[in-house]
Amino acid sequence: MKEKYIQILGLLATSLYGAFVIFLYAAEPRSLEEISTKAKSTLENAVTKGQVMTGTYEIDQAKFNDGLQAFRQDNFIASRDSFERADPEKRDPKTHFYIAYTFYRQGWGRVSNDDELFKQGLESLQRVTMLDPNFRTDDPDLQLRTPAELRNELEEGMKITADDFNPLRLVRERK
Amino acid sequence: MEETKTENEDITTATADVISADEREDLAVNKTADVMVTTVKADTTSSNQRSYLRYLALPWIFVTVALLGGLRLSAVDTSFVFLTPALLCLIFAAILLGLFFRAGLIQLDGWFADDFPILKNVANGAVLITLFAASAQLFNSLLPEQGLPFWVVGFCFFWTLWNNLFADFDTKKLLRSLGALFGLAFVVKYLVLANLTAPASESWLRGIFENPTKEAFTWALDLPRFSAGTGYIQFFAIAFYLLGLFLLPTSTRDESVRPRGR
Repeated sequence: MKEKYIQILGLLATSLYGAFVIFLYAAEPRSLEEISTKAKSTLENAVTKGQVMTGTYEIDQAKFNDGLQAFRQDNFIASRDSFERADPEKRDPKTHFYIAYTFYRQGWGRVSNDDELFKQGLESLQRVTMLDPNFRTDDPDLQLRTPAELRNELEEGMKITADDFNPLRLVRERK
Repeated sequence: MEETKTENEDITTATADVISADEREDLAVNKTADVMVTTVKADTTSSNQRSYLRYLALPWIFVTVALLGGLRLSAVDTSFVFLTPALLCLIFAAILLGLFFRAGLIQLDGWFADDFPILKNVANGAVLITLFAASAQLFNSLLPEQGLPFWVVGFCFFWTLWNNLFADFDTKKLLRSLGALFGLAFVVKYLVLANLTAPASESWLRGIFENPTKEAFTWALDLPRFSAGTGYIQFFAIAFYLLGLFLLPTSTRDESVRPRGR
């Protein structure tokens, strides 16, 4: 075989073997069986990243619908899980608005709110604003239609004011 | 005696008579051509073998060292633990490569040159990158993972490499020196420190009662607990690395290629 073919073969073989070693150190499989599982998830991530780079990235509509269904049934933990899996690259403002809304509805209480969940809701809202500053939801079931309205509700819910001791608050409704 | 001489002369005369002068010349030319073809074939085979070694075997050896160097086996369930090299390992690897160039183990102008084809320069570069990766992972293998031993052994490595950098070495002495350095570091980490490390026990209290001294050393020196199989893996990593160094040619110019250590 000519030397240049051996050099090309050597470069290819070294690149492949080197890539495999880098993959092992990045994925850190704990056993031989885990290598294939990790390889599959790494490949899926690479495909998603490739879609983002080429501008063909789309959320997983089936998982988004699952999340929406769980959201309407007030199953907010399952809903968030589905929404997060529907948009692994965190690039869809609509999905993240729903995630923020799940934190609001789960943390809302007639007497007091869960500040921790409200904080997480605010963090999700930041991403919505970053992705689309003019975002407005088209879901008629949501009373808070924009990130600004939802942010105001979350921030007000975390403050302690004299209004919090108003007994009429017990009859207010979740939005 | 006289009779034998006469017989030989007769045979020569007879041969000379059987093959004419022209045919003899043709025979000689053919024979020379055969010898030249055989020599060229032998040269091609030898050149091919050198190329296979340089561009396939050596990178394979060094990448294997890079794979094994950071691999440990957990003491609890012998699962794989992949440790990426610390920054110090990369610095040591860079110093070590500098040492190789200074001692003539690798001649820079024999690996990269204007008169080489681009492909050859790229392929040579790839081999040296694998050598760097293997060197970094070798230090990752030999340096204790954390705590005081990491800094003590790291300092010893630095001291030795720094001194060697300014010493006059030939390649043979350098290889012996590195073999001794890596061998000693292996003994310190995988025999001495590994034997001071307490085995993983079900509870902290039970560990103290069963192995009080080892538990004290493990706690004081912050020693990680790995399975005994780790030492075997690292032994082969070091052996492969030294084998790779032995096989590494000083130059890729064919006329100056000579096996290491001779």
